Amino acid sequence: QLNHGCALHTAARDGLSSVSSRDVPAERPRVVFHTSESDPAKHTEQHEGRLYNIPLEEVKAVFPHGLPSRFQQQIQTFNEARVMVRRPALELLAYLKGSNAAHPAVRYVIYGERGTGKTMTLCHVVHYCSRQGWLVLHVPDAHLWVKNCKELLQSSYNKDRLDQPLQASVWLKNFKTSNERFLQEIKTQKKYTWGKRESTEEGRPLGEVVEQGLARVRSASDAVGVVLREIKQQSRRGSFRLLVAVDGVNALWGRTTLRKENKSPVSPEELTLVHNLRKMVRNDWSGGAIVTTLSQTGSLFKPSSAYTPHELLGKEGFDALDPFVPIPVANYSPREFESCYGYYLERKWLQHEKAHTEDGKAELQFLSGSNPRQLDRLAGPL
Amino acid sequence: RLRAWLPRIMPVRWSRYNPSYLEPEVKKESYQKPLEELTDEEREQMELKAVRPIKAAPPILSSSVFSDPMISKFTNMMMKSGNKVLARSLMSQTLEAIKRKQLEKYHKAPENEKETIECNPYVIFHQALKNCQPIIGLSNITKGGKTYQVPVPLTDNRKRFLAMKWLITECRENKHRRTMMPEKLSQELLLAFNNEGPVIKKKHVLHKMAEANRAYAHFRWW
Repeated sequence: QLNHGCALHTAARDGLSSVSSRDVPAERPRVVFHTSESDPAKHTEQHEGRLYNIPLEEVKAVFPHGLPSRFQQQIQTFNEARVMVRRPALELLAYLKGSNAAHPAVRYVIYGERGTGKTMTLCHVVHYCSRQGWLVLHVPDAHLWVKNCKELLQSSYNKDRLDQPLQASVWLKNFKTSNERFLQEIKTQKKYTWGKRESTEEGRPLGEVVEQGLARVRSASDAVGVVLREIKQQSRRGSFRLLVAVDGVNALWGRTTLRKENKSPVSPEELTLVHNLRKMVRNDWSGGAIVTTLSQTGSLFKPSSAYTPHELLGKEGFDALDPFVPIPVANYSPREFESCYGYYLERKWLQHEKAHTEDGKAELQFLSGSNPRQLDRLAGPL
Repeated sequence: RLRAWLPRIMPVRWSRYNPSYLEPEVKKESYQKPLEELTDEEREQMELKAVRPIKAAPPILSSSVFSDPMISKFTNMMMKSGNKVLARSLMSQTLEAIKRKQLEKYHKAPENEKETIECNPYVIFHQALKNCQPIIGLSNITKGGKTYQVPVPLTDNRKRFLAMKWLITECRENKHRRTMMPEKLSQELLLAFNNEGPVIKKKHVLHKMAEANRAYAHFRWW
């Protein structure tokens, strides 16, 4: 009974605090679904459908890359970052809270149709883990590594593989911003030689490897491989917990649009970045979790109607990721739609006079089909 | 005259429909009225609709509450080689760009200035068009072998057309090649809303020319 009372009290407090702090005019008695709980660890079912605020400094620290571009534009226009708490994210957070660090890493695959909120669910989980103090390995879009690469170098470490210096250096820079303190704490366990004159001794902090990768762009992909290897080996010890968050994991097992000098196609395992990331996504390490998202939008050579794991990963990918916990993400429920609509009204995003009426709301719901991306696209010009 | 054996589609000037075809009714309100409230003419109209065929609804006609005839006209003028999808998406991106710029200004402004900033892209669009419309135009009249530019009153349709045409040509020609249309258009519309910018200047130039050629005004015979 105590919990029930507390839940009611917080719900009332949330509703009242939001109404009193903002000037809601008397003729629009719409309850704005905000919550003042900005720690994802405390989100429960009663927060479902509500939007929570992430302070802007935290956004810059936790998400140097990884937020969808339209959401970043929204953050800039509204001057705040509000993320909706939805059921798939709550499910994932419950699993992560109950997971055991001694057991091998569990793989979670978030899947769903286009524009239902898979990337935002991933970002919610990443925010939770960074608040809990985990080391977050966030790959914003694995599809960017298998297409549109201007420079492909032959890898010095392994003659068959190809390096991607630009993509690797960009990723290293963002990794540095998000995990500053871990780079000083984790020490290398082996000596790595980068060339004739450069090498990193055993026992140096991992920050030096990252600096090396950023300074010498040619060896950036090898630096990424070293970082991944060290982190994977040391997460077993239990001094920190590791979250591997990959968006668009189906890129690792598909085809690429890249070609070698002799115009022959490149398969994903010939790329060093993809090869190392595949090793990370295997569940032969313990002390953390692997959360991945399937994405059709950036995928190559896949039909636009494909959204299930089997269709997007193919046989090779499915066997590599099997066994995993599938987490489906669906369109907005009526309550979530109300919440999103109310938020747009409150932030003055819906400016059209007819958008404030019931007719306008019904039309928006019908035209978007309660799909978050369609609603966002429709509400733009209105 | 109407005959049953006449073909369904018959060319009559521009319309290729048989005269028996009726116009489609798009407004939702007319279908939601209960039977008792209808007057006798409306009841007759309803019975006629039950027996006569109806024309296909043209793409301009929309039952959406958000449709605006001026915006559709502007979109059609922006369209190239029938690509309405592209024209419509450019229009919606333009309206979104205007809204974003104005909202950013609104959130950064101090409290007393917040009411003066207009954030509704539709209001801005309509006001900008109104500001760009010329009041008087020039027309070429040939008298005694020489052509004179005679000041002439313009109809509403012509004024609207000229305003929209000037906005679009200004964006297409006098801007940097690599800027996107929504960006250029939103900038032009915001300038026109504040009575600044090259389109307003063009309107003023036209007015000055008309004022300068006042002497030939009596050449007009309509």
